[in-house]
Amino acid sequence: MIEFSEEGKRRYQTILSHYPDKRAALLPVLTLAQREFGWISQEVAEYIGKLMSYPPSDVLSVATFYTMLHKKPAGKHHIDICKNVSCWLMGVYPCIDEIKRQLGVEKREVTADGKFSWDVTECLGSCGTAPAMQVGDRYYENLTPARVAEIIEKLRND
Amino acid sequence: MTRILLANIDKPEQASIVKYRERGGYKALEKALAMDQAAVIEEVKASGLRGRGGAGFPTGMKWSFVPRNTGKPTYLLCNADESEPGTFKDRILMERDPHMMIEGMAIASYALNCHLAYIYIRGEYEFVANMVQKALDEAYEAKMLGPSVMGKDFALDIFVHLGQGAYICGEETSLIESLEGDRGYPRIKPPFPATHGFLASPTVVNNVETLCALPWIIQNGAAAYAAIGTEKSKGTKLFSVSGHVSKPGVYEVDLGYPLVDFINNEAGGVPNGRKLKAVIPGGSSVPVMTAAECPGVLLDYESLLKAGSMLGSGGMIVLDETTSMPETLSVIADFYAHESCGQCTPCREGTGWAAKILKNIVAGKGKRSDVDLLLKIADMMEGKTICPLADADVMPIRSFVTKFRSEFEALCGDN
Amino acid sequence: MPKFTLNGQEVEAKPGQTIIQAAADHGMEIPHYCYHPDLPIDGNCRMCLVEVEKMPKLTPACTTLVNDGMVVRSENERVKEAVRGVLEFLLINHPVDCPVCDQAGECRLQDYYMVYGLHTSEIPLGMKVRKRKVIDLGPMVVLDQERCVLCSRCIRFFEYVTETGEMQFFGRGDHVAIGTFEDRPLDNPYSGNVVDICPVGALTSRDFRFKCRVWFLHATDSVCGGCSTGCTVRIDHRDGTIFRLLPRRNVEVNRSWLCDEGRLSFHKLSDGERITRPLVKGRDGVQAPVTWEEAARSIDSRLKEIRDTNGAASILGFASPSATNEALFLFKRYLDGLGATQFDFRLDSEDKKLADEEDQILRHFDKHPNSMGAIKLGLMSEQVGGIEGAINAARAGRLKAGVVIYFKPLVERPGDAEAEGRVLALLDELEYSVLLTSHKADWQDSASVVLPVAAWSEEEGTYTNFEGRVQLAGKAIEVEGNALPVWEVFAMLLHASGAESPWMSAEDVFATMADSVSVFSGITLDQTRLPGVVVG
Ligand SMILES: Cc1cc2nc3c(=O)[nH]c(=O)nc-3n(C[C@H](O)[C@H](O)[C@H](O)COP(=O)(O)O)c2cc1C
Ligand code: SF4
Ligand code: SF4
Ligand code: SF4
Ligand code: FES
Ligand code: FES
Repeated sequence: MIEFSEEGKRRYQTILSHYPDKRAALLPVLTLAQREFGWISQEVAEYIGKLMSYPPSDVLSVATFYTMLHKKPAGKHHIDICKNVSCWLMGVYPCIDEIKRQLGVEKREVTADGKFSWDVTECLGSCGTAPAMQVGDRYYENLTPARVAEIIEKLRND
Repeated sequence: MTRILLANIDKPEQASIVKYRERGGYKALEKALAMDQAAVIEEVKASGLRGRGGAGFPTGMKWSFVPRNTGKPTYLLCNADESEPGTFKDRILMERDPHMMIEGMAIASYALNCHLAYIYIRGEYEFVANMVQKALDEAYEAKMLGPSVMGKDFALDIFVHLGQGAYICGEETSLIESLEGDRGYPRIKPPFPATHGFLASPTVVNNVETLCALPWIIQNGAAAYAAIGTEKSKGTKLFSVSGHVSKPGVYEVDLGYPLVDFINNEAGGVPNGRKLKAVIPGGSSVPVMTAAECPGVLLDYESLLKAGSMLGSGGMIVLDETTSMPETLSVIADFYAHESCGQCTPCREGTGWAAKILKNIVAGKGKRSDVDLLLKIADMMEGKTICPLADADVMPIRSFVTKFRSEFEALCGDN
Repeated sequence: MPKFTLNGQEVEAKPGQTIIQAAADHGMEIPHYCYHPDLPIDGNCRMCLVEVEKMPKLTPACTTLVNDGMVVRSENERVKEAVRGVLEFLLINHPVDCPVCDQAGECRLQDYYMVYGLHTSEIPLGMKVRKRKVIDLGPMVVLDQERCVLCSRCIRFFEYVTETGEMQFFGRGDHVAIGTFEDRPLDNPYSGNVVDICPVGALTSRDFRFKCRVWFLHATDSVCGGCSTGCTVRIDHRDGTIFRLLPRRNVEVNRSWLCDEGRLSFHKLSDGERITRPLVKGRDGVQAPVTWEEAARSIDSRLKEIRDTNGAASILGFASPSATNEALFLFKRYLDGLGATQFDFRLDSEDKKLADEEDQILRHFDKHPNSMGAIKLGLMSEQVGGIEGAINAARAGRLKAGVVIYFKPLVERPGDAEAEGRVLALLDELEYSVLLTSHKADWQDSASVVLPVAAWSEEEGTYTNFEGRVQLAGKAIEVEGNALPVWEVFAMLLHASGAESPWMSAEDVFATMADSVSVFSGITLDQTRLPGVVVG
């Protein structure tokens, strides 16, 4: 049986206090759950459902609508690299190839050491500094394959 | 050119409340709080301010649709979901001058008699949300928010709500569904959010940029704002420009500024001595314009519409002569297929089908009849869906295919 | 009342009606998938688009309210084109596996496909979005995700009717798939309804699956015999076999729903052997087959003998709340003719349970379709005091003979065996007993006479539900062997006793009942058809 950490439980209460209606807290609570458990497994959906008194199907249905909520295990560092127009125009594909080369896994797969996973994503709002990617809550912009290699190297030692 | 939104954007520590106030911040809120609520709405109406989220609906008029004394609370939702490809203007406002947005929200809340407001920020912008949260904390500390805003008998709470990756949640009713903890399925309208929004209560959804214009309008008066721009497009507008330009970035221009001048002067022109091929002036969902169509077109709602495109979110993407239009459209179509909420048939199936056909064409596996099929799918989708996302796919499909048809056909195997 | 023009015809709508509802009231079906009259509106399928003058875009008929003076067109080329478009969209990712689909014949995709004259979809098979097939969702439902048109009817059913929320959409865009959490079985007592409301073959009935192609079935309008709610049903049958029960929409009773137990209740009828001939106990104490005439003569003379010796008050009429009004009416008339005064039907406080809701949706605790009819026909008396009272009176010698009708309930509950035990106890205590029943059981040896009668679905007749609503149930199946409808048995006994017995059909009996029983007075058989008629 999984459970929020003590800190998670406090965060949960704070989140609830922000809304006049409990249901409105569901998405932030799922976000919190992903932070605590790494991804939204069926077990997590069931736990959140019990916690907030919603059917687990309902919770999972909501979670599967939002692409940032992982429905599969993700690496410690999950890279989302933008493939939309501006990033594509500015040469994101060589950067994507570099990610693949560096990590040796296909998108949505996790590296053997559990450190990395990656995926392509849609416009990140960094089109003026394209190509761009996101790792955790950080943006990396003006990417080149060399810079991608550098960033991954740094994260590897993290 | 007038600097309203970006006036202090590059000034040091503008994000801190101390510097913000030193530079005149929160004076407009003070002024608004001394006015009648109705007078604030009138002022915004008179300014001619139109929504900067994409639809360009007059802000003051939207506010006046909100019923009073319903016995239910009124909510203000700041739309910071900014996900339209090519758009990154709200981000810079929140990163560098978050108090301007907070002050704008406070003014709007006061006018609407709203005591609880949310800023719906796209999940990818978590770091931006952290900056906004810091500014909110400062604002609470300085009593710009809380039970008694600036010592007045007016209470206001503002919370940040983080999305989790869904472009559609920028559409206002989808945003409301998402805020309510559901899948972001756009709602059928009517009823409109003004009467049945968040928790079935009267709700106003405004874009970040729209709200950021409010302090200036209140401080300098509606007339001063209305003096800027064109007859129907008042004030200034942010354009975020990217793609094949020398100086991509966010620029503020008076509405009515010439498009070609904007590309060449502000954005530094097309680099590497290449020629302009096409412009998507207002985010990926507006019709593309060929280089030949650009001269004489002004950056305002009416002129762009007349030129067959739209101002949209002001997310301009510039394409040079080396760009493959079928590939560009394929990238765009992929985006809409990925972001369709899947609720209504024509959009769910049409966006996906069009994206597959385009992938095929780009891979050299298309047939000439596929090009017409794309146009047929566009017809089958257009105007038949719950929200405008399908039309947002139709516009690029139709404009790219009709304006650059030979490029598509050249890729088809049976050519 | 708003008036509007629909395809050139001026028609009236009720205030607050949508275009699709108003059109339906005037016999015009506007094509639809997601709209369902008994579910909240969702407007997602876009099949019902119509043209409304002064509106620039086509608008969904299911979400648009009728306004006075509105001019609506649902059949012009622009609308047809749009509908064709939606159909084509629905087919691009559809597996089109009709030859192996159980819905074939009643699939809304197939139907509209024909009407709108479509050709096959243009997307190559390899490009279709693949989803999962044949997912077992419990005792009632099998799911095929690829056939789903994502209309959300099933979701709305579980959200708003049962409020259990088991079915949901997962994913986004054209990858949205319908399902339950971890494929968990649907275990709420109304889950079978989603099979009916699914417009395509995505949700099919586990019970009915592959049993029979629907076009071979015959339909008979009926009323569920599973409880005192009296849900209005359709019996689908072929060659004397019932294949399934479906709800007939009745806004006054069950809307479009049935409970799962009621839906499957017909299986109970094929549970156990039938009695095929009248049996009369000889001097040796062994039951032996006789003809109906012999049986009738012997019963009538024995009962009269007992009456003449012990008085009419020694004869008990013990009715069944599963029998039709017509059956109970002639039962009472025959015994009244003998002068009998002791009547009851209660095996287990049915009178108290009949209006007691088992849930807030449909079910009542009384698992008989006609307890109210028995009460209205005067078959309950404080003096007898239900079966316990009757047993005591028989034991004390106050009751000597009894005519007992008994049917096993079609929906089981704990306590059924005890109730049946009480029937046996009564038979044991009576000196002379006549049992009318449909299925064999060893305890029936105790009866002096056993008469084989038609069970539910095997005779025409009316039932009176918990609120006094009288509804007609048609005959779907021929009775087995020499069994007769209960009303016919009493018509025969009346004849044997020398009384008038002019009835040729249940309908005739109904007419006499409506003439002679005050609660039923004035009602016609026609009124007992949808939605039925409530009697005082
Ligand atoms: C598919 C779609 C996406 C949208 N995304 C955004 C967005 O990211 N940000 C935004 O402010 N408005 C967006 N809008 C527009 C909103 O629905 C709404 O009109 C706007 O937030 C109203 O604010 P305004 O009147 O201040 O412009 C979107 C609309 C559609 C149809
Ligand atoms: S148009 Fe597309 S995004 Fe909008 S409601 Fe329909 S399916 Fe969803
Ligand atoms: S399974 Fe059937 S009822 Fe449910 S959404 Fe799919 S098509 Fe509609
Ligand atoms: S509620 Fe009663 S009458 Fe209705 S289907 Fe169930 S058993 Fe039959
Ligand atoms: S296109 Fe990549 S960040 Fe906008
Ligand atoms: S029936 Fe009207 S949209 Fe589905």
